[in-house]
Amino acid sequence: MAEKNEKKQKPKKPKKPKHPFNWLSMLLFATMFQLISMMPVIFLSEEINIEVVGVFGGFILTEWLYFVCARWFAKQRATELEIIAFTLSGIGLVTVASVYPNYALKQFIAILIGLAAFIVLLAIMRNVEVISALRIPVAVAAVGLLCVNLVMAETINGALNWISLGSFSIQPSELVKVAFIFVGAATLEKLQSTHSLTRYLIFSLGCVGALFLMRDFGTALIFFATFLVIAFMRSGDIKTIGLISVAAVLGAGLIIYFKPYVASRFEAYRHVWEYANDGGFQQTRVLSYSASGGFFGLGIGEGRLRHIFASTTDLIFGVICEEWGLVVGFCVILCFAFVAVYALRLARHARSTVYSIAAVASAALLLVQLSLNVFGITDLLPLTGVTLPFISRGGTSMICSWALFAFIKSADIKTYPILEKQMEDK
Amino acid sequence: MNTVTKRAYVLLAIIIAFIAGVALLGVSFATEGGKWATSRVNGHLYSGGEIKSAGKILDRNGVVLAQSKDGERIYNSDKNIRKATLHTVGDTYGFIATGVHSICRDELTGYSFVDGIYTLINTGEGSNVELTIDAKLCAKAYDALDGKKGAVGVYNYKTGEIVCMVSAPSYDPENKPENMDSDDKYEAVYMNRLLSGLFTPGSTFKTVTTIAAIENIPDIQNREFECKGALATAQGGEIICNNTHGKISFGTALTKSCNSAYAEMGIQLGAGVLEKTASSMGFGKSFNVSGVNTAKSRFDLEGAVDIDIGWAAIGQYTTLVNPLHLLMIAGCIASDGSTPVPYFIEDDLHSVVGSIKSERLIQQATASQVKTMMRNNVINNYGDSKFPGMSFGGKTGTAQVAGEGSHAWFMGFSTDESFPYAIVVLAENGGGGSDVAVPIASKVMKELKNSL
Repeated sequence: MAEKNEKKQKPKKPKKPKHPFNWLSMLLFATMFQLISMMPVIFLSEEINIEVVGVFGGFILTEWLYFVCARWFAKQRATELEIIAFTLSGIGLVTVASVYPNYALKQFIAILIGLAAFIVLLAIMRNVEVISALRIPVAVAAVGLLCVNLVMAETINGALNWISLGSFSIQPSELVKVAFIFVGAATLEKLQSTHSLTRYLIFSLGCVGALFLMRDFGTALIFFATFLVIAFMRSGDIKTIGLISVAAVLGAGLIIYFKPYVASRFEAYRHVWEYANDGGFQQTRVLSYSASGGFFGLGIGEGRLRHIFASTTDLIFGVICEEWGLVVGFCVILCFAFVAVYALRLARHARSTVYSIAAVASAALLLVQLSLNVFGITDLLPLTGVTLPFISRGGTSMICSWALFAFIKSADIKTYPILEKQMEDK
Repeated sequence: MNTVTKRAYVLLAIIIAFIAGVALLGVSFATEGGKWATSRVNGHLYSGGEIKSAGKILDRNGVVLAQSKDGERIYNSDKNIRKATLHTVGDTYGFIATGVHSICRDELTGYSFVDGIYTLINTGEGSNVELTIDAKLCAKAYDALDGKKGAVGVYNYKTGEIVCMVSAPSYDPENKPENMDSDDKYEAVYMNRLLSGLFTPGSTFKTVTTIAAIENIPDIQNREFECKGALATAQGGEIICNNTHGKISFGTALTKSCNSAYAEMGIQLGAGVLEKTASSMGFGKSFNVSGVNTAKSRFDLEGAVDIDIGWAAIGQYTTLVNPLHLLMIAGCIASDGSTPVPYFIEDDLHSVVGSIKSERLIQQATASQVKTMMRNNVINNYGDSKFPGMSFGGKTGTAQVAGEGSHAWFMGFSTDESFPYAIVVLAENGGGGSDVAVPIASKVMKELKNSL
């Protein structure tokens, strides 16, 4: 009896705060992680590379500036996506700087452009009318870009998906990814019309076909998967989508039948150890060095995968596992799963189907691309040579990653405090 | 609006598939990570295809057989020990696939799922691997083979520890000969003949036929055979004996190794019974010896006629035996028909639990009968002076090989409870079992007896 009374008399626990991790503590945590990971890179060589130190400083400054502005001036109440975007970009920047200090500045500029694209796209996405007005020009521009690409493409690593502009080279297919989702989501406002459906199908076919001609099968596959998601979202027609999938598989089969060299590119798949010095070269190195790192890694700069070709682009997940550890590596890829769940929640309560579709398609695209990258270099899937969003070295890929996050964020009414207020007033 | 937001769940399917992929990747790292991290492509461990950094390999007395110093792999300072233990220790290039350098890469590099190879990178040292072999005994056995190809194996049939494992030809890993591929002297030099070799057993196989006879022919101990220097079979052809033994009892038939008597027993038993006995004694089976799967001994009488069965019963025809398997049979005969599976790498399981897995190859009652017969064989044929103080039992073999000299064999065991060791000796194309193999066995067993 006495015990019971005592229990009753105990004071009530204070209510948990609504957000146990508020934005400031999250930002502080991210900054700490970044500073810790930057230290070994700065002291890697005997002489301290001033440029790298500047880039790291600039990155952290940008990060804080963004959050302060977003929170205090733009009245943003949900900044989880940005924290993830900055954390991932930071891991990529530090890894790239640790392998190629000379690329650090370029990568930082790419992050800045990505952030700018993120903000601009958020502004554009605010208004459905604007989206609607822009969709045709964007579609035309996307197809045009791919056509230009086809004509003046340079073959890099077997794929014809690069255009050189002076000292910069851009990968138009990355930009077209953004356009693809934009057009796909926008068209949907008029989904009853079969006319618009057909036009979107033609647009998609054009994009995937152009990528096939460029022999960029990985990106073609990403587009195709995204197309299926968008088509399902707009029509819910599983039969048609099944038919399209069957047709695509048959088409791929025909290509392999008539052009056996396509299949020969994938002959090492699931047999990488037998082709350890040709077709399975990259995969075996990724597996061997990633496993060498254990949970906590060999230390930044201590790895050997960094000396393998494409270590900071396609294989960067392996470098992170080897030097930062499997725990960080797996956290990175699970971040994207978190983002996808986040996108799903937003999509379910979005104020218009445009935003639902844009968010779902963006999250799906990111997951598919991530899977092709991570599972490709670890031989769970065929190696297709696509980049790891936010982390791989490369400007266009970075811009595309930020833009896709903008699509997800635009589905959140909290992004637009004024709109939110208007809706509440109604 | 509602339907479209419901369709958003398509993303959930993608997320689930993705998480499943991540889980699969994690499981792959947990289960295969050791193999991946220690593979030859890992530049942390290998340089120019050769392993550089790894822990020490030690024999049962702590003698260092291989270690890393200043990024180089160095072996024992004694050339004979280097050659005698080569197949057990293995080479740094991995040519010897059954060597410790290949099969213990995880341990040697100190790899663990949690730490990867962090310890090795930061301290330059992996974990040590301790072996059950005695390097000096191996060197003695290698000397005793005297340049002949072949194998010598000695193990404790109560615990399973292999104390001597030698395969010849061998080479000095610190001074590798250049012409090994073309020189016939180095035929199959990378193979550990004890674990991976298959050879015609000759008369050592009579132990198997003896066991089949004891278990399947009533009153076999009182049976008398007639040896006329050869046994003619019903369909024609004959199995030639080493002598004309005349009237000969079952027990004497083993001592004299009478082919006529054994061929007759084999034909009487028939292909089915012989095959069944051989199979229950481990023919057609591979044994896991410290992670190395031994070669499967072969006994196949499909489509065989009497003359084939007769030859097979005395260990000819298509019969092939793995030397370590024969060693296990010797161990089983000595110890009531079952034996722990031999091992040569000390591991936690063996040191804590003792022998993990036993193999019963012979029925208990049968084993003790054969043990007495083989003990008599040593007393009557080779003399206890060859194996002083060991109460030895054994059987020789002289296996005929088409176009080449006979293989000399000896399988034997001490019946002394306090010295529970069994031995197998093979000298390829070495000559007669009692002339060649018994003296080698004698030297090795004496050395072992003295060292304890």
